[in-house]
Amino acid sequence: MNTNLKILNVTKIYPGCVANDNVSLEFNSGKIYALLGENGAGKSTLVKILSGVIIPDEGNIYLNENNLKLNSPLDAKKNDIGMVFQHFNLFETLSVFENLIIDSDDERESLREKIDTIMKKYNFSIDLDIPVLNLSAGQKQKVEIIRCLIRSPKVLIMDEPTSVLTEQETSELFLSLKKFSEEGILIIYITHKLKEVMQLCDEVAVMRRGKLVSVSEINNENIESLANKMVGQNLKTIKKKKTKTSSDQLIKITNLNFTSEDPFETNLMDINFSVNRGECLGIAGISGNGQSELFQVLSGEIISKKNSIEFNKNYIGDLNPQERREYLMAFSPEDRLEQAAIPQMKIFENVALNNFKSSNFFNNGLINENKIKEHSKKIISDFNVNTDNIELKSQFLSGGNLQKLIIGRELITSPDLLICFNPTWGLDVGAINYIHETLIKINEQNKSIILISTDTDELLKLSDKISVIHKGKLSKIMNSEEVTSEKLGILMGGAN
Amino acid sequence: MIIDINFIGLIIASIMASAVPLILASCGELITERSGVLNLGVEGMMIIGAISGFALMTVTGSLIIAVFGAMLAGVLISTIFAFLTQTLITNHVATGLALTIFGIGISAMIGKNFVGIPGKEFPVLFEGLKDTIPLFGPILFGHSIVFYFAFALPFITSYFLKKTKIGLIVRAVGDSPESASNQGINVRLVRYACILYGGAMSGLAGAYLSMIYTPQWIENMTGGRGWIALALVVFSTWNPIKILIGAMIFGGLTIIQFHMQAIGVRIPVQFLTALPYIVTIIVLVVISRDSRKIRLSTPSSLGKSFHKDN
Repeated sequence: MNTNLKILNVTKIYPGCVANDNVSLEFNSGKIYALLGENGAGKSTLVKILSGVIIPDEGNIYLNENNLKLNSPLDAKKNDIGMVFQHFNLFETLSVFENLIIDSDDERESLREKIDTIMKKYNFSIDLDIPVLNLSAGQKQKVEIIRCLIRSPKVLIMDEPTSVLTEQETSELFLSLKKFSEEGILIIYITHKLKEVMQLCDEVAVMRRGKLVSVSEINNENIESLANKMVGQNLKTIKKKKTKTSSDQLIKITNLNFTSEDPFETNLMDINFSVNRGECLGIAGISGNGQSELFQVLSGEIISKKNSIEFNKNYIGDLNPQERREYLMAFSPEDRLEQAAIPQMKIFENVALNNFKSSNFFNNGLINENKIKEHSKKIISDFNVNTDNIELKSQFLSGGNLQKLIIGRELITSPDLLICFNPTWGLDVGAINYIHETLIKINEQNKSIILISTDTDELLKLSDKISVIHKGKLSKIMNSEEVTSEKLGILMGGAN
Repeated sequence: MIIDINFIGLIIASIMASAVPLILASCGELITERSGVLNLGVEGMMIIGAISGFALMTVTGSLIIAVFGAMLAGVLISTIFAFLTQTLITNHVATGLALTIFGIGISAMIGKNFVGIPGKEFPVLFEGLKDTIPLFGPILFGHSIVFYFAFALPFITSYFLKKTKIGLIVRAVGDSPESASNQGINVRLVRYACILYGGAMSGLAGAYLSMIYTPQWIENMTGGRGWIALALVVFSTWNPIKILIGAMIFGGLTIIQFHMQAIGVRIPVQFLTALPYIVTIIVLVVISRDSRKIRLSTPSSLGKSFHKDN
């Protein structure tokens, strides 16, 4: 039984952006296909069209020569196309079983049997009767996969499936996907991670700015060639010169604890570390292991005991973020549009937000707009933010530009320590490179960084020392030269 | 002083009767909110139900037409809310408040002609069994069909949400409309249905007030019960059984404070009148302290507009 899926001349236009520009592709079962591209290249739009979530403006889709009309996700399901979305489509407060039965036509008993068979066959083990919000990201993904498998699909689409997984979970996923492929399911794998394409796929299609750039056999490609196709220019590789750092201690955390009242937050237990001047401490971990709590404690969003944080020989554990900034700390939170900037406010207004006291932005309670605008323009030009309109609302900046603006806003006060949390999350390669260069520059100026990130490659590239956070506990602090991504993966999974 | 045991039964029965409109309206609103829609128009829908029921009864003389007409009136007015919030994507809170103001106003206008007209007697069931069992006789027997329906409703609602597929879909939509939509569930349709159901139950609650509880029309006769029903839903953490408990406490305190006022207890009247509101909320807050359960039963998308982009 062969499955052939054809996409013919698909176009989807959004106001101000062509998401898919006349894309044609053909897939055959028995192979694993990669759809590669940066954020915003149009991969997600294309697969959402395949799964009926988005209706294309033009173009046709053929499954085994039948022209499909995919007007809703139901149509895709009926035509045996299954999709696992990047952001899980699960109902967090419902149990696993309820999540699975909701779109199934089976009776409870027969569905349970089906699920059991699938779980046995692929070695999944998930408690069906607990709410989904108690599952790890890897388990949630398995629930999504089971949901597709129940319908015995001909096509299985995976949209950036590894962004939430550990190394181990990723290799488990790859094994499963290879098994599915051997059983005749056509697999389309969407990603921007080149390593994964090389590891898993047979053929690769590269997209850039809504257009299909190339289709090729994986054997004819390597990481560099794919990267260049994806970005459309030759990328320079960034490397940090690892120099001997000073032994001049800047920040010291002693016996820091945080117990949350919210059962869905992670408690921090006995955190101890210190960072010297000019040093970058990386904190690795799977998301949800206490990183956001740690960030909040360090930034002062959550206040702790006065002497648990010593910064520049001052005890500052009980100070709020504004007061900590006066001691020359700076922060770049994970969520750019919710925590770091206010989406509805203009660029220059957002620039003023982190600087209430020590600047000359305000006179007697009145806003000194000219000063702020001047300052904003300087940030925009110094940090390469791709706009010249400082009156623009922040929500209209792309992720990369917004991140540059935020980092710029923090750095222009020349702080001694920058604490950032997933600074390159969801950015394209160009912006990531720029942010990485900037972070390296900070260290070269003998200033320090605490980098909390879920991206191990980023951590290995930028950190001088690395520690892993797991269930609110930090591992011992290691020199980054002694660490490999495999070792980090094991620690991230909770082993010693 | 000898207290007749049947007298206690009668007091309990009167407490239950005063809880009926709260249970009906809360259970309806609970379904609406479980689908992620916050309808603050309960008071307005209730009073529309009250005047429609009473007017239809007076005009047609048929109790059946009156009861179903009141429910239909609730459905119609909630359709306005549904159209505005689901089709035109207006803000839930503002639209709901407008609905209440609209309902109170229009009911007063229609009701002008019905002030002072006596109501009809509503048939009660099992009247003859009232004296057969001491204490429980008056509690269990001799009530209207709406009364029995109201006390069954929390259990039906709970069963519906937990055990049926449609209940599951309602919860799923309230949890994440985006996911539901991506799963091929018609979010707008589900939400429309839940809003209309909430309207029907509020209408019925209103009809109970004007046709059974105090069979007459008085302007603004719901007297804030719609707001209490809303509060019950939230403070019961979207749990129908706790709504029943809350409604009973509220009804009980309302009746008891009347009696206390009658006996002449030396506590300021204002405090006594406020008592049911305060105590009900305190009790519900105390019995709903488990934050894990709150998280699991709170509809995550409550009050947020869902707009499917294509």
